[in-house]
Amino acid sequence: MTPAHLPVPPTLPQAAAGSREQLIRRLNGLGGLEVVGRGGTQGAVTVRLLAESLEAATHALAGTAGTRLADMFADTDGGVPVLRLVWAYDADQPGYIVTECEIDGEQYPPLSDIAPAGFVEECEIYEQFGIRPAGGKPLNRLMLPPHAETELPTLGHEPPRPPEEVHAPHTVGGQAFEFPFGPVRQAGVESLYYGLVTSGEEVVDLYLFTWHKHRGVEWRLRGKTVPQALFLAERAEGLSAVAVGWAFAAAAEAALGVVPPPAAARTRAVALELERLYNHAAATAALCQATGLSVGQAAAEIALERLLRVNAAAFGHRYLFGVIEPGGVSRAPDAGVLRRDLPGAYGELRRAADALLSTNSFVDRLEACGILTAEQARRLGLVGPVARATGLTADARLATDARLASDAQPGADAGPTAPGPYAGHPVNVVTAESGDVFARFQVMLGEAAESVRLITQFLDDGTAADRAPVPAKGAGGAGLGWAESPRGEALAWVALDEDGRIARARLRPGSARNWRGFDDACRSQNVFTDIPIIEASFWLTAAGMAR
Amino acid sequence: MPLWFARGLRRGVVTTRYPASPDGSAASLPTPPAFRPRQLSRQVVDRMVAECPGRALSRRDDLLIFDAGACTTCGRCARVAPDAVTSSGEFELTATARSALVKTIPILGEGQ
Repeated sequence: MTPAHLPVPPTLPQAAAGSREQLIRRLNGLGGLEVVGRGGTQGAVTVRLLAESLEAATHALAGTAGTRLADMFADTDGGVPVLRLVWAYDADQPGYIVTECEIDGEQYPPLSDIAPAGFVEECEIYEQFGIRPAGGKPLNRLMLPPHAETELPTLGHEPPRPPEEVHAPHTVGGQAFEFPFGPVRQAGVESLYYGLVTSGEEVVDLYLFTWHKHRGVEWRLRGKTVPQALFLAERAEGLSAVAVGWAFAAAAEAALGVVPPPAAARTRAVALELERLYNHAAATAALCQATGLSVGQAAAEIALERLLRVNAAAFGHRYLFGVIEPGGVSRAPDAGVLRRDLPGAYGELRRAADALLSTNSFVDRLEACGILTAEQARRLGLVGPVARATGLTADARLATDARLASDAQPGADAGPTAPGPYAGHPVNVVTAESGDVFARFQVMLGEAAESVRLITQFLDDGTAADRAPVPAKGAGGAGLGWAESPRGEALAWVALDEDGRIARARLRPGSARNWRGFDDACRSQNVFTDIPIIEASFWLTAAGMAR
Repeated sequence: MPLWFARGLRRGVVTTRYPASPDGSAASLPTPPAFRPRQLSRQVVDRMVAECPGRALSRRDDLLIFDAGACTTCGRCARVAPDAVTSSGEFELTATARSALVKTIPILGEGQ
């Protein structure tokens, strides 16, 4: 979902990777003010910017190696739109910086010209809040279906004009045509529309319409208590229920100054790694289906079913719903069942994968298919196995709460903090280099093995169904939470009012970030029959985008 | 490819025999709640109604209305009223009429 009809911004020469303190000083020099204490986003560094310094600050952050735009969203604070950008810095001590800026009027600087990763969010912000980047760049319809008679609620002011629907011109010697596919594709598959532009077999362009599953989740979360909202948040993208639920709960906990007990945090991590395992098994089955290898598909689906049964036996739900609770977890895994059944279930996946890697006809379909370069992944801010298959190393399990920084400001309300469960069990981040489907498959297999190792270590250290007390009412506040879902970093940002209810919630599943790389991957000299293979290797969901 | 042919034959059929015979994994699945009428009071029911995220519970005078079709088996009603709620163990809920999924339970407990 890149603005393919516009010239690609030149790659910015990047400054050397900066430490957190250097980034803050650079923003201070541009007029930014670091907000410490309860006025900022807990869990991240918050820098408040004036509107006139937003563009320069974005240049500074986008131009620093190891820093990426992870999310962008808006809010109306007392009627004035506030634009927030979430920047991840992946070097040194990984973490997040949130810049916030009040927008006076209908326009703000064209940030996606500086950081192309922000184009999708600019489209979304326009639909929801009616503010848009200056310069007149056409914005695509993104979340709200174009049904004239449908009045769907928005988070802010409706845009003065409907978004444009501009896509790449058909320029293959005048012979290209557009092949519509979807939104109803096949039984059991999510609604998703592809506009395939082709000259016959080769994919010239591909664009997606993902609004068919729009549920207005962020709008529905407003006014809910944190437990009520968590029920909806973990269902925003059901295949990432643990990750999105954890990110949301962590954001609310940061806002409230609550820290889950260590044993409960390890329980969350066990559930998260089980979620990663079954998703990677499902992706393996989808790759086999896409390549027409029926027996391989069945073998991977046997592994998938065994893993789902392990989830049900350990946590009481095949898809791990209801494990995450505010302040901790609702139940501990049955460690005996996990130790007994997980090796066999993972063994099914491992044996199927080994056989697939020995099948030349299968491997041939994956190699050099759906290639993304590291530069493309970095420019678009991609996450998860899709990014790591290009050589990038970002992994949300490595990120730390900003309040744990050893040089926290004196007098700042750091609140109670504790390292996350992965601090004691470093993750071996699996990467590859070729950026094709085969690389993504290899990363998933490596991550599955790593997940089994981590689960064993978390069980050895002990898990528990435990919760820290969560205040029913508080002084309000905002927090950022994150978790590494099977498809990449899931982010959540929450602002609570004085009654402890949601004033604004932002959910950004991994799918919402990675769909924008799908058309680039399909355009890289692929043919029609490669598209299902590429889609399986991304293993995203329409739900994660159309929330 | 002969490898896959042999592999498939060797693995055999693993499809569950359900419904011809029970599947052991069903014991791990969450199931809708069953209610103990004598443990229900209006206050208890109102607490459960307030907690239910799927609007599967409502109260009409001294009747608890439970819509199994709206229930997501999240277990929150059991958590706020552990004496009044137990797991039904039922997951074969298919019905040919939507109304068959809506059950009415009398509120017979004290403290109404």
